[in-house]
Amino acid sequence: MGSSEIAVAVVRRWLALALEVITAHEEELGRLDAAAGDGDHGATMVRGLRAANAAVEKTSDGAGRLLIEAGAAFSDASGGASGALIGALLSSVGRALSDGPFDTATATKALQAGLSMVMRLGKAQPGDKTLVDALKPFVDALAAQPADQPLPAAWRAALPAAQAGAAATREMAARRGRSAKLGERSLGHADPGATSLVYLLQAMEMALAEKCE
Amino acid sequence: MTKLYNNPADFREELIEGFVAAYGRFVRRVPDASGVMALDAPRPGKVALVIGGGSGHYPAFCGYVGPGLAAAAVMGNVFAAPSAEQVYRVTKAVAGDAGVLYCYGNYSGDVLNFDMAELRCQEEGIDVRTVRVTDDVASAPRGQEDERRGIAGDFFVFKIAGAAAARGDSLDEVERLARKANARTRSFGVAFGGCTLPGQSAPLFTVEPGRMELGLGVHGEPGVQSSHMRPAREIADLLLDALLADAPPDAGSTVAVLLNGLGATQYEEMFVLYKDVHRRLLAEGLSPYKPIVNEMVTSLDMAGCSLTLCWLDEELTPLLDAPCASAAYINC
Repeated sequence: MGSSEIAVAVVRRWLALALEVITAHEEELGRLDAAAGDGDHGATMVRGLRAANAAVEKTSDGAGRLLIEAGAAFSDASGGASGALIGALLSSVGRALSDGPFDTATATKALQAGLSMVMRLGKAQPGDKTLVDALKPFVDALAAQPADQPLPAAWRAALPAAQAGAAATREMAARRGRSAKLGERSLGHADPGATSLVYLLQAMEMALAEKCE
Repeated sequence: MTKLYNNPADFREELIEGFVAAYGRFVRRVPDASGVMALDAPRPGKVALVIGGGSGHYPAFCGYVGPGLAAAAVMGNVFAAPSAEQVYRVTKAVAGDAGVLYCYGNYSGDVLNFDMAELRCQEEGIDVRTVRVTDDVASAPRGQEDERRGIAGDFFVFKIAGAAAARGDSLDEVERLARKANARTRSFGVAFGGCTLPGQSAPLFTVEPGRMELGLGVHGEPGVQSSHMRPAREIADLLLDALLADAPPDAGSTVAVLLNGLGATQYEEMFVLYKDVHRRLLAEGLSPYKPIVNEMVTSLDMAGCSLTLCWLDEELTPLLDAPCASAAYINC
């Protein structure tokens, strides 16, 4: 398989695994969301990922195009702020994923584009108790990997930064979104968006291991 | 507790189908979109008022679609903003040649999705403007009015914008009048009990028995003060104290009044409360103009009510009085 065919296989496998992993944690995500939101984050993520998987079944283009379609379908099926943000993350990663080599440098660049899109749209900064608190440490850690490190190994090495970032949201009071109005009540619970983002990244680790190693 | 549903995941879709089946004399389904549109939309030469938000707040939002009111409502899942794609599709269905005004309560999910749709429409050459309703004085202090969330004040802003659009005002003018109506509208609420989403067995939030929460948001956002339950006349004073202390500059003395039930509070209780609201308004030298005691923006089965004042002037009054016809509000 060439590099672009591998990328396509990885994206398809990632979406399928992401749906499996998030479905397995649907209840946990709902509980976290109920602390300061309306308790539907798990259900919303599952709905979005189902739609994203259905959308890529109908698409046969490159990995970037698949992610753009997946992001659009995710946003539309999920609705709300998280649907818009995660969908925009997928779509902007897809747009930035050039046809170049499917390697650590390309993936880092694409994720940096996704991160800045999410921060711009959601107006969220690190420390606001959002998915940015998991995504930004991950993207920074990925960028710090040696350039010649194969993507699966680099991805694996960067994952603990996302997990630590998501765990740290327990000590934060929300400052963005509807839960910001519930600031204090969110203390002691990890942010559901940061938590589900870690699951998405873990699903990608599995997809990369299966398809690239 | 929400009791009537089949599959909770289908709640929005089934409510849209049922609403259109019941009120087909006012609305039809927007093809391939989660929303309803007025039978006469798109209206040539008229600005299209597009409202929307999460479901769970009926009559907001679909109940206010019809002649003299909104051209369309975009309907999200329960307590979730509609996606940008749905806002876009609904906009395309009703946009005429005079532009589009988006009007909705100020919540981050709605802002994100409506803004993305607005951008996409602008790129296609459709002139779209936005006025967010920010009437809830409990949600941010004076000086930060733009941060406030939108609750029952939606109704007055929608009515005034819809009437200006129906009159044939330009988009600049409809936007200006909607902004002015919002700037002169204030709400404050009291809650006695939380609400439960379809399919859930526990309420989203609770209010302890024998207590009440002042300023509690319609999705359980915390209030400004928790108190033991009080007699209706004291609640009337608490609500009015908050609103009158926040009166807009150049307020004048004529106020449109809405005492709004949140879903589980009885009309007759609200009349008892309204008696004291009315008396206090008169004592303050204010003239209540065509008061409304009704459910206009609810929150599933939440117990409680809110009081909204819209300080009128010679420009806003005729728009409030203008005829309109929709499933939830008819003025003739």
